[in-house]
Amino acid sequence: MRGWSRREWLAGSGAALAGGACARRRAAERARVSVVRLRRYSQEVYEAVRRLLAEHRVEARGLRVVLKPNLVEYDPGTTINTHPLLVHAALEAFRALGAAQVRIAEGPGHRRNTLELAEAAGYFGLLPDFETRFTDLNLDEIAPVRLEGPRSKLRRLYLPRTALDCDLLVSLPKMKTHHWVGATLSMKNLFGLVPGAVYGWPKNLLHWSGISECIADLHRLLARRRRPRLFAIVDGIVGMEGNGPIQGTPKSAGVLVAGWNLPAVDAVCCRVMRIEPRKIPYLQMEDPGGLLAPDGIELIGERIETVQTPFELIPQFRHLRL
Amino acid sequence: MQTLLSAQNPDGGWSYRRGGSSWVEPSVYAILALRDLPEAAEAVRRGRAWLRGLQRADGGWAPHAAVGESTWVTALVLLLEGVEGAGEKALRWILRQTGREATWLHKVRMKLLGVSSDYEAAPAAWPWYPGTAAWVIPTSITLLALRKVSRVRPEAEIRRRIREGRQFLLVRRCADGGWNHGSSRALGFQINSYPETTGLALLALAAEKAPGLERSLAAAERHLAQCRSAEGAAWLEMGLRAHGRAASAPSSVREDTLMDTALRLLARRAAQGRNPLLE
Repeated sequence: MRGWSRREWLAGSGAALAGGACARRRAAERARVSVVRLRRYSQEVYEAVRRLLAEHRVEARGLRVVLKPNLVEYDPGTTINTHPLLVHAALEAFRALGAAQVRIAEGPGHRRNTLELAEAAGYFGLLPDFETRFTDLNLDEIAPVRLEGPRSKLRRLYLPRTALDCDLLVSLPKMKTHHWVGATLSMKNLFGLVPGAVYGWPKNLLHWSGISECIADLHRLLARRRRPRLFAIVDGIVGMEGNGPIQGTPKSAGVLVAGWNLPAVDAVCCRVMRIEPRKIPYLQMEDPGGLLAPDGIELIGERIETVQTPFELIPQFRHLRL
Repeated sequence: MQTLLSAQNPDGGWSYRRGGSSWVEPSVYAILALRDLPEAAEAVRRGRAWLRGLQRADGGWAPHAAVGESTWVTALVLLLEGVEGAGEKALRWILRQTGREATWLHKVRMKLLGVSSDYEAAPAAWPWYPGTAAWVIPTSITLLALRKVSRVRPEAEIRRRIREGRQFLLVRRCADGGWNHGSSRALGFQINSYPETTGLALLALAAEKAPGLERSLAAAERHLAQCRSAEGAAWLEMGLRAHGRAASAPSSVREDTLMDTALRLLARRAAQGRNPLLE
């Protein structure tokens, strides 16, 4: 057998040292993720959201908060979009915490008329003064942002000022399977920040530049910025399984999942859906320290086993089954 | 009209929303809506000057002054100004663009991967952003622009691209007869059409005698009866009228943007017998 060269020894010992450091960091920095059981959209959602924000010591006094739900298409009888009751619960909770401003913002990828979509999805009915609180990110003011060390083919993106200039950006996705990337959760929901007025409807540049890589890049770009901070509350009360994100079937998972670390939140959601998060490419890319291992996340509330609900996977993603 | 005049930015352009910075798309629609009105002559002149100053070295236009890439909005400027105003380089830029799925490199790759679908077989059309796939809205707008150009420049290449673009629209129709953003099926499931894309595609297919167009017109009429957005209603009215159908939007439509306001004015003009997008 060939012996190790000096370079390989150096690389090997460096990796061992780095591995040890990672393990120590993991122990010290376990991401905290909450799982709350909620069987239906009811008044209990309001209390649950307030409790989630308290558990994660979310401070909003004097801050500009942007709530980013997932609005894609409307089809009666399906569960494509984040339920407006959760958005209203978040709005009320952040107002109660003393936020200087709470806006709801989204840039759907298919429909140009966002308000028509929001109205069909029930947002006008449940969210008072929705029109005055809403920013269509597809038509917002923009700023160029350079991507540092991108995984995708992108080198820069134009992003909406409403998202870049706020203090706290809250990703409020629907828990869904996705026919291209396996699962769409709080990180994939960030695609809605990319402005249609620059990239079109759909935001096809993200697809051709590598979807998983773009999800990772967009998350990393925002996670590295001093502002906005990112927080996530995933609507898994009724999610979508099968041919998501649009044509799947409603699936009751009966949970809200929340936390500051979006990859960790998404990893927990995957385990709830009985998907192996470490097989989701964009989660692999955003997990350099092994945070997504089962012992890398500190769970608050329900244990995974008590809420786990296998989401049906289309054939090409059956290998993701946990 | 007063809404548009009072919302013009000091630089001469228009934003999507009052008070925002200028974008090419709402500016082109505002100028088209105002250009025949004597009292708007100065606003139109300033708008055109702003657009001219934004042309890029490659002949194209970016959607906003902060964006460093020419995109589909080049077709909008060509539609407004014609080749005489937008210039030969703008026309050549548009003719160079094609959906990435129609490039030989992509077709060879898909063949090697054993992928075969209607999506891959669709004729060449136009993307929103260079290097990406073709979609319904940029293709429809480009067809309207090339139709205008072809009246003064009957070039074979322009005629061929118009033919292919129209074929693309017909191939990408949804099962209900209308159009959505351009993907009529996902993993074998049918996807429904939208109001705005159905109206715009019908306008781009004006004078087309394609089979099944009756079903598309019926889809447009269904959409119009329920449409709540001014943008969707305006495109549907213009699309239906381009095929000789009477059409009027419900009174409950909502104008959300300055672009909506401009499109409503254009639809009103079309109802009076003159559609600047078809002239």
